[in-house]
Amino acid sequence: MRITSFMIFNQLTRSLQRNMEDFAKLNSQLASGKRIEKPSDDVIGMMRSLDYRLSINNTEQYKRNIEEANFHLQFTDKVLGSVSDSLLKLKELLSMGGNDQTDENRSFYSNQAAEWRDFLLELSNTKLRDRYIFSGYKTDQVAFSYNSSTCHYDYNGDLGEIQIPFDTGATLPSNIQGSEAFSFTLEGPLPTELPDGTPLNYGQTTDPSTGVTTITIEIGNSGDPDYDTFSISNLMDVANVMSYAWQYKDITGSDLHSDAAIREEMATHRLMALSIPLDDAGNQVLQVQAEIGTRQVHLNDQNARLDNAALNLKNALSKTEDADMEQTITEILKTETALQALRESASRLISQSLLDFLK
Amino acid sequence: MSLFGLFDIAKSAIFASQTALTVTSQNIANVNTPGFTRREALFAVAAPVALSGNLLGNGVTITGIKRYYDQFIQTQLLGQYENYGRSSALNQTLSQIEQIFNEAKNIGLAVPLTDFFNAWQELATNPEGFVQRSDLLQKANSLVLAAKQMERGITDNLESVSDSIDNIAERVNAIASEIAAINGKIVQVEAGSQVQNANDLRDQRDVLMNELATLVDFSSYEDENGSMTIMAGMRNLVSGETSNSLSTRTNEEGDKDLYLDGINITGNIKKGQLGGLISVRDTIRTNSLNGLRRLIASLIQEINMLHRSGYGLDGTTDNDFFAPLQLSTRDFSSGADMTATITDSSQLTLDEYSIQFDASGNYLVYNKQNGTLVTSGAYVSGSPISFDGIEISITGTVTSTDKFTVSPLTDVMKNFQVAISDQQKIAAASSNAALPGDNSNALRIVQLYQNSIANLGGATLSSYYGGLVSTIGSMSRAASDSLTFDDNLLSELNTKRESLSGVSLDEEAANLIRFQRSYQAGAKMIQITDELLQTLLDL
Repeated sequence: MRITSFMIFNQLTRSLQRNMEDFAKLNSQLASGKRIEKPSDDVIGMMRSLDYRLSINNTEQYKRNIEEANFHLQFTDKVLGSVSDSLLKLKELLSMGGNDQTDENRSFYSNQAAEWRDFLLELSNTKLRDRYIFSGYKTDQVAFSYNSSTCHYDYNGDLGEIQIPFDTGATLPSNIQGSEAFSFTLEGPLPTELPDGTPLNYGQTTDPSTGVTTITIEIGNSGDPDYDTFSISNLMDVANVMSYAWQYKDITGSDLHSDAAIREEMATHRLMALSIPLDDAGNQVLQVQAEIGTRQVHLNDQNARLDNAALNLKNALSKTEDADMEQTITEILKTETALQALRESASRLISQSLLDFLK
Repeated sequence: MSLFGLFDIAKSAIFASQTALTVTSQNIANVNTPGFTRREALFAVAAPVALSGNLLGNGVTITGIKRYYDQFIQTQLLGQYENYGRSSALNQTLSQIEQIFNEAKNIGLAVPLTDFFNAWQELATNPEGFVQRSDLLQKANSLVLAAKQMERGITDNLESVSDSIDNIAERVNAIASEIAAINGKIVQVEAGSQVQNANDLRDQRDVLMNELATLVDFSSYEDENGSMTIMAGMRNLVSGETSNSLSTRTNEEGDKDLYLDGINITGNIKKGQLGGLISVRDTIRTNSLNGLRRLIASLIQEINMLHRSGYGLDGTTDNDFFAPLQLSTRDFSSGADMTATITDSSQLTLDEYSIQFDASGNYLVYNKQNGTLVTSGAYVSGSPISFDGIEISITGTVTSTDKFTVSPLTDVMKNFQVAISDQQKIAAASSNAALPGDNSNALRIVQLYQNSIANLGGATLSSYYGGLVSTIGSMSRAASDSLTFDDNLLSELNTKRESLSGVSLDEEAANLIRFQRSYQAGAKMIQITDELLQTLLDL
């Protein structure tokens, strides 16, 4: 092949250009630490790294959600701990304040019960970040309030479960409804008479829209002078009935009976009849706490899993898009050597011509 | 033969050497001139004279100046310049579009899109939180801004493609008129001559044709007079000493069409930079631009559908989260106007439709994307036509040549904005009774991110977007690979051409010595002849 001056120059400039391009690319990889700097550098790798990054982003969001849910559940658990304690105190009052008490004692017990009642009401209306935590979806309303016309405590919330997403397509409620924590159902075989032989009947109905169970208690035979019936639908009601019973009164504030002896008997019966509901209420609260515990374990497991997944994803991402520093530096050295050799040979090639030798 | 004959031979030798030296000098002088083909003076024995039965030599003549030129290589070069022009236009434009989707540097829609859905998750964990609500609105606005910026980036590129087409057409016209002028000169110089000796003009014309080939593909042939006829898009660009002007006109789609000799030749231009630009703008429009618009349109459609079913903190429902989709229509009719409205946004396919009328008064609605007939029937003047959640009504008289198009995509970005300004109206709840703690509608919207969407061909929002990125990445990669390939091939062909036509300084240096020596020898001959004559005169 005939070689001309232009060919030599052209070849040289192209080689230099190509070498410089490689050099620049490697340098920019070294500077950014990334192997992929635009989609066309590696289309498949780019797609993979985009996928990884989205997954990492999702994982981080789920972790934030879990943190938030955990915070709510922990707070709720604390409140329920206080509820449980209050129920124990009420139970204590019930066992101490049995028969044959002085009027002084009775009024002490009555006051105590009223205080626990009010404390329970406060607990039921706990707020977290401006939300009533036991109102279901109706977080802007107090969960329970005293209804002065029925003299009962009413549940104002609903059955709403605030579901928190903690994984793709998986959610878990972060709240406990007031009807679940403060209202309760009686479990197991129920006694049909009081320890003194008085007939006793527990009836219960659950309102499907709120989940509140109303327990109706009948004591004695219908028609008897000491026949008594009353209903409770939550813990405050229980404490309320107790508080009034120690004063021989119904929750409306009127005397249980005009006759003092019957009145006392009826009050005693009421307190006795409340013993089982109080136990079941305590169990219910414990069950709810256990349920919270289960959810927390679930969330913590998931959190650990997400941590693990995030680590794996970050590793994979780094493997996909990060430049291998050692390799890049080696490549740069190689390119540099080639560039040097090229320059040297070029300087010899273009400096020589036949004209140099013609004197 | 007289002694004076010797003078003649010596003189012819000197003249020939001088001519050869001139050619050599010209070669050396043009060693760096692009497109220059090296020349060589052709020596031949001068016609001998018969003297007493013997033929005696009569010196040397220069029969011509040869141009080292290979038409075959030149033709190949033209073809390769066309390929190179196309590849470079594709590569340049696509690499710019690629930067708009450069997720490697977190430029693009992936981050704002996930941020937007993450904000819905935050809202789901705190349905009544004002912070979460205003954060969601802010993230939604960022998404809108990012999407609009991306679209502007693409449309800016399409505009610069249009500008480039204009500029290149101008350059094509300049080259064409130069070639036409050179044609005239070549014909003049070579008239009556048997050899092609207008070497410099031919070199010039080749350089111009090479440049023309990088701009546009053409076919060419040289007639017997040496005049080059050039046809682009099957129309004459240069014919003899006249050239036609390549002009551009904006078509219905807003793109530039190329007209030569009054005929639209856009479809016939395949190569050169013009061919590359014409094909790349279609690619960008169908892939990147419409893809992005379809993604956003689906997002608007799906989010709004869910959002309208939910309830805001203020108890209102049926609110759009994003401004609803609007149809844009185009009208290719003189006597009739058309308006289109969305009657059921859940049925929208996000495809474009064209509405035509046949001679027997039937309307025909075609899906422009897949070409299928959507609906047809007898057209009753004034009564609306409904299909796929769209209702159109036409006023005026339609004829069978009338055509209308309806597109839900064209104005998507223009109308893309957050419709909610009062954060209370963000519908996290699915029922009025469950306010404000109900987050189930927010959860459904969160779930949307994972759902496959029918209007995106069953892809999820993020995987569809990933598809857009990978498409532009692959196209840009392919363009850059083919540019490298074409560049190498072009360089290979240029090397081939250089190998034949290029000037080698070593060669020319040798020639210098060679002709210098022969010149000196010729001069010596004159001196000797002179001495011989002197000898005679001295007798």
